[in-house]
Amino acid sequence: MTHPGGSSAASHGAEDRIRLRPARREDLPHLVPLLLRLKRLNEEFDPLLKVRADAEERAQAVLEADLENPQSVLLAAEGSGADHGKLVGIVRATVRERPFYTPEKEGVILDIYLLPLYRRHGVGEYLLEETTRRLAERGAGIVTAEFPTQNEIAARFYAKRGFRPITALHARTL
Amino acid sequence: MGDVARSSPPDAVDPSSAEAEANQTVELGRRAVRLARFYHGKFETVPSVPVRSLEDFAVWYTPGIAAVSEEIRQEPELSFDLTGRWNTIAIVTDGSRVLGLGDIGPEAAMPVMEGKALLFRTLGGVNAVPLPLAVSSPEELVETVLHLAPAFGGINLEDIASPKCFHILEELARRLPIPVWHDDQLGTAAATVAGLLNALKLTDRSLGEVRTVLLGAGAANLVTARLLVALGHDPHRLTVVDHKGILDADREDLDELMLRNRWKYKLALQTLGGGRRGSLSDALVDADVLVAASTPDPNTVKPEMVRSMRARPIVFALANPVPEIWPTTAREAGAAIVATGRGDFPNQVNNSLVFPAVFRGVLDARASRIPDEIVLAAAKELARHAAERGLTPEHLLPTMEEREVFPFVAAAVATEAVRLGIARRKLSHEEFLAQARERMSRPAALSKALTDAGLIHPMPDEPREGVE
Repeated sequence: MTHPGGSSAASHGAEDRIRLRPARREDLPHLVPLLLRLKRLNEEFDPLLKVRADAEERAQAVLEADLENPQSVLLAAEGSGADHGKLVGIVRATVRERPFYTPEKEGVILDIYLLPLYRRHGVGEYLLEETTRRLAERGAGIVTAEFPTQNEIAARFYAKRGFRPITALHARTL
Repeated sequence: MGDVARSSPPDAVDPSSAEAEANQTVELGRRAVRLARFYHGKFETVPSVPVRSLEDFAVWYTPGIAAVSEEIRQEPELSFDLTGRWNTIAIVTDGSRVLGLGDIGPEAAMPVMEGKALLFRTLGGVNAVPLPLAVSSPEELVETVLHLAPAFGGINLEDIASPKCFHILEELARRLPIPVWHDDQLGTAAATVAGLLNALKLTDRSLGEVRTVLLGAGAANLVTARLLVALGHDPHRLTVVDHKGILDADREDLDELMLRNRWKYKLALQTLGGGRRGSLSDALVDADVLVAASTPDPNTVKPEMVRSMRARPIVFALANPVPEIWPTTAREAGAAIVATGRGDFPNQVNNSLVFPAVFRGVLDARASRIPDEIVLAAAKELARHAAERGLTPEHLLPTMEEREVFPFVAAAVATEAVRLGIARRKLSHEEFLAQARERMSRPAALSKALTDAGLIHPMPDEPREGVE
């Protein structure tokens, strides 16, 4: 499990704090709660993102499917030092076809979650770089990120790193 | 014979006297309503210049006054010299967290704001204008205060719910060139820190070594934590506990806090629960200090929790009107020092010890803001005065009767503002002290003169001298 070192300055401190690696089946019990934390955070932003009662079982199934899918990127963030081996974060991403636009393949960052203690110090940046690199390896020519519209913290994070909104998802209940 | 009443154990509270306490509160409430009906409010505006005839208005008002306006137009800072702005503050509230009453709205908050203004005037010699605002969001409150600021030398935020009070204070302090203060955060925290400094001294502890538990993560304790760390308390020996238990970095609600209460969120990451997990009981084992500012319920802190603390622990139970543990109970469980928020027990941690003097000081120095250094200067000066009079477990802080302390706190605040380079008037400590003494004594003299002359009515429900 050698670590593919990030080259940018921002990621140096980050690598001391966490280690990002592809998730394994035995990680799933530890990744499910992290994914659920993220979904509950999303719920804070919008009632249309209300977490369903069976979300935990569904999370397990979704992550298992990710492991099977060659287009998916599922990463686990391990703590270092005293927290060595503890899973402190999760990244889910996938590559989608863009039948009408170029670049033809889009790497979509679906979920990024880090426990509060491991945020900052360039850790988010490191996660983004590593994920982007893996999506590019799978042929993505453009990288996008999905998050609740009201999540201004995420919006600022991506905006600082050159992202801008291209599609809007509007919703109403039926 | 008040002294006799005081010398009997004041905190031997059993259910029957708690009931007596409640009855007394009801009776005081009835009287307050009767007097409010009689006096119709607590203030009127009284000129501070002679008005002998209408001709005087040629200088107090037009045409003469235009020249004064012209001077201020050319140099806006002169509004502090040529008008009453230098000594006038606004007491601003949205009525969202008034006393123990909760969100009662601006109209209902008015009597409380009038009472606060009376304290500002009586204790600090500050002209305070009660301004309850009908606003629907923190942003609207901020904007409104920004618009009102030209009339005022300072802003006192009052009875605004947490955590929006943090956002409002930060925004206004950032955007206004005059001092802004929120008493529920800063005043209470300053009085708490003053008491703690002396409690540590009395029990031979140093702030750098103690383990402290803060119960309650509202306005006061979040600032108390910040001040303690600024004074050298190790954040990893600080455990914050709220209704969900110890605030540690792994707690499920931390993401929500990041969005809704970033001050509490930051404190969680800074303290990491002081290395503890679990409940209040878990937090208190081997702790030196407990500062409770939580729920008015005397069973919140159990005797066995106090017993689990280090030897001779310090217990501040500050909830009003009922402390989290009765002082007698805490002492029986081993507490060396107990403080509460009440005036009928020893060691009252009272923000009225702080805010009148802080405003006297920042107004006299024309400080542009009130950084934590100033809050700490006030706390240290309070602690110093209590220590000068002799520290005992029953005398940690000056009492409200020790009025001579107020000008000293004001002068310490003003001098600190000069030291920090945020004062627009730079006088010596002696000058600030003399000025504070004079300005703080004026209201009593004025009030006495008006009462003696029969211009302020005596209390209608009290027998008058000779009339009895």
